[in-house]
Amino acid sequence: MKPFDNARKINNILHRDLGYFFAALIIAYSLSGIALNHVDEWNPDFVITKKEISLDRGYAKDEITASSIGRFSALAGEPSFRLYDFPSERQVKIYYKNATMLVDLGSGKGTYEQVSRRPLFYQVNVLHRNSVEWWKWASDLFAFMLIVITVTGMFMLRGRNGLPGRGKWLIAAGALPPLVALVMQQL
Amino acid sequence: MRLPAHPVRYLLSLLLLALTACAESEPRNEPSGDSPANRQKIAVLLVNHGSRSSGWKQNLLELERRVAPRIRAIDGIDTLSTAFMEHTEPSISTALKALDSNGYSDIIVIPLFLSTGAHVFDDIPTIIGKKENPATLEQMRLEGIERYLPSARTHLSGPLDFSELLAKNVARRAGTMSDDPSREGLVLVGYGSEPFREAWERTFEKTGRQACKEGGFAGFTTAWCGHVAHYSPDSTSAAVGRILKQHDRAIVIPLLVSFSERFQIDIIGQGVASVAENGRRVRYRPDAILPDPDLDAWIVSTTKTIAEGIRKEQGHK
Repeated sequence: MKPFDNARKINNILHRDLGYFFAALIIAYSLSGIALNHVDEWNPDFVITKKEISLDRGYAKDEITASSIGRFSALAGEPSFRLYDFPSERQVKIYYKNATMLVDLGSGKGTYEQVSRRPLFYQVNVLHRNSVEWWKWASDLFAFMLIVITVTGMFMLRGRNGLPGRGKWLIAAGALPPLVALVMQQL
Repeated sequence: MRLPAHPVRYLLSLLLLALTACAESEPRNEPSGDSPANRQKIAVLLVNHGSRSSGWKQNLLELERRVAPRIRAIDGIDTLSTAFMEHTEPSISTALKALDSNGYSDIIVIPLFLSTGAHVFDDIPTIIGKKENPATLEQMRLEGIERYLPSARTHLSGPLDFSELLAKNVARRAGTMSDDPSREGLVLVGYGSEPFREAWERTFEKTGRQACKEGGFAGFTTAWCGHVAHYSPDSTSAAVGRILKQHDRAIVIPLLVSFSERFQIDIIGQGVASVAENGRRVRYRPDAILPDPDLDAWIVSTTKTIAEGIRKEQGHK
């Protein structure tokens, strides 16, 4: 066996096995990447369930007591509350175990909000954001391995379908969109 | 404990062991119950948003150094420290733990934030255990912000939202870039907040009006550079455009507590740079509210007021 054949064999084994090993993480990071790209259009981490509440009338701040807060809470289906506080003279915010309600006292309108984790996306975003302290090192290793997977992928085949053939053209084509984006950003 | 011989089961067992160990070593932040009600030892903690920028941190630490002698001169107070809500250490929980371990009975927490917003109203009270906002708790877990309920009593002051100090600050900073205030308009750029938009607009409105009166400027407008503006320079450039339609020159003032490259350079700076006549008709310096001797004085007087309240409360017991 020629030395190059041996190197190519190791290269292909590396590419295959690293690909298998990191398959789950590549999918998780890709999903999270899409989710976080659109962070201005949606909340990728949490589902906020809102319910609009109308009080019987408008209230002044000094009318608010624990008993009136209890009545407002009942309208949102909350039997009890933890505490309440005033973000401004016109507003009161009521805190529950898993929810809050912000009431505009002047208009008598309130918004009850419940927060829950967005399944799957919350978990993949935890990884992508390095919310676990030590995960950034695993993440660095993963990023390095992605480079290894990519580079070994370039040398898998010889001939017409390899790097000297169509490979070099496809690499150039793939580099074009980011280059165009960078040039456009500079204009 | 015997570990299985099969490699997959072996790995799973190791993982289970590691998870159990992590769960057991998680710090318990409940109050110890050993409340030092009979001793009175007051500490002051200056809390700010925090930033990855070293300039931001340095400004806040310099502020601490400047006010420390006057704070320590207040009866009953011997410590002043600074904590950062995000991005840099010491975090609020790190600072509170240190104060707890030094046996403080009371901690005066002064948030150095511009106006009432989610950070002052919900996040900081939740971090120090005064509130339990479910959304904040989830967000903190996601962002790795630790919650710590100190054994000491905490006293949270209001934010820096009175416009007199800000107006003087704006007039002073704008004055150094002004040629003829009567022909110049101010662009006040702040972080902004969606749920507290009304409070922010009110603060900026009052600040702008007073700054114009004090410095003789012809008019003002506001722009946002934070989440509410999607961290985009567009709000700044639009505001500069509005001023240039009415006045000869625009003076752009970042109403941010400290300096960070991201806001003062990348966002506001780009917003200014994208205005066609920026060289001739727009003046901008990437500075911040700090340093300001009036802000130092505000911290000292706020601390004095709260400390007096604590002493009176203790006297009644």
